[in-house]
Amino acid sequence: MADRFATTLKINGQPQATTAALEDTLLTTLREGLGLTGAKRGCNQGVCGACTVLVDGRPMRSCLSLALGCADKDVVTIEGLSESRVTQALQKTFASTGAFQCGFCTPGMLVAATSLLMRNAAPSDGDVRKALSGQLCRCTGYFKIIEAVLAAAAELRSGRST
Amino acid sequence: MATRGGYHRPSTLPEALAILGEGEGIKPISGGASLVAMMNAGIVEPTALVSLEGIDGLAGLSSVDGGIRIGAFTRHRDIAETALLTGTSSVVADAARQIGNAVVRNMGTIGGAVAHADPGLDFPPALVAAGASVEIASPTGSRRVAAGAFFVDWYTTRLAPGELVIAIHLPKPEPGIGLYLKHSRVAGDFAIASVAATLARSGRVRVAIGGCGPTPIASEEADEIMSARRSKEALERAGGILSALADPIDDVRGSAEYRRMLIPRLLTQAMNDLSTRLGQ
Amino acid sequence: MLVEGQFEIDVPREKLFAELINPAVLAACVPGCESVEMISPTSYRAVIAVGLGVITARFNLTVEVTQQSPPETVLSVTRGEEGGQASMITATNEVHLDDLGGGLTRLRYRSDVSVTGRFGKFALGVMRKKAESMGQDFAKNLRERLSRAATSGQAVEQSVVKPVVPAGWWRALLDFLTRWLRPAT
Repeated sequence: MADRFATTLKINGQPQATTAALEDTLLTTLREGLGLTGAKRGCNQGVCGACTVLVDGRPMRSCLSLALGCADKDVVTIEGLSESRVTQALQKTFASTGAFQCGFCTPGMLVAATSLLMRNAAPSDGDVRKALSGQLCRCTGYFKIIEAVLAAAAELRSGRST
Repeated sequence: MATRGGYHRPSTLPEALAILGEGEGIKPISGGASLVAMMNAGIVEPTALVSLEGIDGLAGLSSVDGGIRIGAFTRHRDIAETALLTGTSSVVADAARQIGNAVVRNMGTIGGAVAHADPGLDFPPALVAAGASVEIASPTGSRRVAAGAFFVDWYTTRLAPGELVIAIHLPKPEPGIGLYLKHSRVAGDFAIASVAATLARSGRVRVAIGGCGPTPIASEEADEIMSARRSKEALERAGGILSALADPIDDVRGSAEYRRMLIPRLLTQAMNDLSTRLGQ
Repeated sequence: MLVEGQFEIDVPREKLFAELINPAVLAACVPGCESVEMISPTSYRAVIAVGLGVITARFNLTVEVTQQSPPETVLSVTRGEEGGQASMITATNEVHLDDLGGGLTRLRYRSDVSVTGRFGKFALGVMRKKAESMGQDFAKNLRERLSRAATSGQAVEQSVVKPVVPAGWWRALLDFLTRWLRPAT
């Protein structure tokens, strides 16, 4: 049985006391330690992007982050982002456009897209493709996802989304 | 001294080196992009980790005596976006831009990549083409090794146990341009084969090939041929020399034969691109 | 993965055969070999220390000779695992000795190796390269050792009396298996 170490992580603005073994990733701790199952374990190698969360404001692979290494960092998961206007606009357009099927890649897509729209309110098609290039989807073929991101950006710019 | 477990966050380099020296199972962790992936796959099982994050002087790019110093804990993203890598040194920034994807570039660091020395990585050939050197720290001091000599074998470098890469040093860049041409199955994948090339206004050419052997492949003879002229025949000759030095693996990304075949073709493409962009 | 190669050595075939079945000779020539133990006339156990980059491991191997035609051919099967079954290796091996005349012998080997577990997930393409370079190291070590024994006039230790016993062939086969392994430092 591996040693477990006590640590406090800042998740979605709240301090969370938990324990983690040296090899426990942030992903494992979020899902199994804290019940935040929005981030998914797709490949556990950093390739698929289903585990993507924001760490200190930037999208990172929670499967490649060690829980014990995140002690003083600001972690925001899809659960936390769901409170933000940008993510809510994306969730609406993802639904209306039909940008998800099985939904497994969707949390990661939303985190990456939210990060893009927070930096760039008027992305081009190319900007969206680049920002999402680290997120894999096996169902949709990506077109609807890109459409949904561009639509959400337009909605946010027009001030129509609340 | 008993080996301690856990995740250590020293704030100074001497502290980090001291903890590392305590046992073979204690490993350094930089960005974690490679190390944590290997831990997840059960390939390595460190007993303790020493994080290089937050150690004074280990992160960031700076101008030093006309050259550029890149701290080991500098993220790929920062190297991709820096304004400091101009002229021929821009080959390093071009390589950084093509590593993995944006999210991985937020995490990986140049020190971690260089110490890991995976033969498919993008930085090693770029650093060789840029004439970079690697600064290594040990408990007894520090030393620099030219990039061309630092990479020794498959996943093997000049680092002795307990030593750390602390910085990459680039010499004063020449006016000109650099290019990293990466041939991969899909964007974000490791290279099947790659060319890192610099073309100075003076006409001087430096090239290194990645993904085709245990270490980056470079040849002074090939560089001299291309520096003298960049005709079709010269490029083919240089490509032949580099291809003969290659020792590619067969793997899921391509056969050894395919990689050897790619080298002269990618070289020609890279050099023609550089010539066009530099307008000479 | 298939690991195959060959080398020539200026030792007559029958003598080479005897050397290859000598545990002392092979333990000295197989890089990373830490211990060797005979279980039966046709099977051996060994511990080999391995390293590739940041990975270090110890493999517990058993080799069983399945068929022999002395002094030409030996077939054997190798099974190995790391403690805790982190990685497992199985290999079927063939070794052929060809008499080239004039006291020269060619040793040809071919191993079909399958690796599961952590070593199976990491750099299989590189492992074959390591295997090939280890074959060259083994050949070099063997030549040096045998020529040193010859010039010093010393009899090489014999732990197996009958030179026709093929059981020791596993050593050479062990080498094929461990070709990609570097001694842990």
